[in-house]
Amino acid sequence: MNQPTLPKHFIFNEKINGDYLFSLYADDYPYIEEVFSVTLQHFDQDIAFIEAAYASGSVADLKKGVHKVKPAFGFVGLTDIQQQCGDFEDACLQASETEELKSGYKNLMASLEEGKMIIAAEFRKLKDFNSNPV
Amino acid sequence: MNLKCVIVEDLQVAADYLAKCCEKSGQIDVEAHFPNVQEALVYLNQHSVDLLFLDVEMPGATGFELLDQLAYFPKVVLTTSKSEYAYDAFEYNVTDFLKKPFTYQRFLESLQKLTAPSTENNISSTATDHIFIKSDGKLVRLNNDDILYIESMGDYVKFVTGDKKYVTHNTIKNLEEKVNKSCFIKVHRSYIINFTKIDDIRENDLFIKGNEIPISKAHRSEVMKRLNII
Repeated sequence: MNQPTLPKHFIFNEKINGDYLFSLYADDYPYIEEVFSVTLQHFDQDIAFIEAAYASGSVADLKKGVHKVKPAFGFVGLTDIQQQCGDFEDACLQASETEELKSGYKNLMASLEEGKMIIAAEFRKLKDFNSNPV
Repeated sequence: MNLKCVIVEDLQVAADYLAKCCEKSGQIDVEAHFPNVQEALVYLNQHSVDLLFLDVEMPGATGFELLDQLAYFPKVVLTTSKSEYAYDAFEYNVTDFLKKPFTYQRFLESLQKLTAPSTENNISSTATDHIFIKSDGKLVRLNNDDILYIESMGDYVKFVTGDKKYVTHNTIKNLEEKVNKSCFIKVHRSYIINFTKIDDIRENDLFIKGNEIPISKAHRSEVMKRLNII
């Protein structure tokens, strides 16, 4: 799905919006690798903030944490997760306590975790690709 | 000459991407990047820049709170996706919004807005005792002594005299350079006042003919210096 329409040497994971990545970076694969690397470096810390916010019952902090990671998923082409983050932010605006967000939170965290695995796998692939471009 | 900019952005990948766009454009020099308002303010109060790429929601203070505390007003491009900030953006006279992530093409469009020639030429004279403003399709002469204060309304300003109000397309920043500084002083990012018209000052506000006008922290010391306190 959503693979780039222009010929590319690198094939992204099917959950990554390749067209979108191409619109941002064209075929600058070394830079794309850097983007994935930087995203991974900050991932755990950002997720920990979200988990702590949920555990503390702070809807405002939860929203803030999700707001921060939202564009990060866009930068790596995981636009569905980016959208899911946006929807969750909207839900936070309607909620007065985290309990009301329980179901959405569980789904979101599962997506974030899956997103992390995809980013890590793509980073490894990109690293290999850039060190041995075909 | 390139624009000197500072990036205030808590998402590292976004800051890196923005810096790359600036470098690629060849028109913007990134002087520094800060992940929060507090660190940015320390730098910005010691270094003057032309442009701020500013995230709104960050840990601690927001981007708008940074603008409140700045002693000067560089051009601002907000890097956020939230339309709920549109009103504030209007109030703060920001040049553009960049929704993250944005394409390089979109970045260039923003750059065009930043470098477009100013259309803020509605002041036709900087004579010492009066100015002319364009209002309702005509040039209106306002004597300095008749103007009580000037208030920002986004891309417009309101000139308030004792009996009339005139709205014209302009900005406080532009007017600050054009009005006669012996009579007028900027007391807030949204207000220039006629110094000779102040009736009284109470803490962080001054009063002119019953109009309450805020004095910002950034301008307070300059206002107090100009007062003839005995």
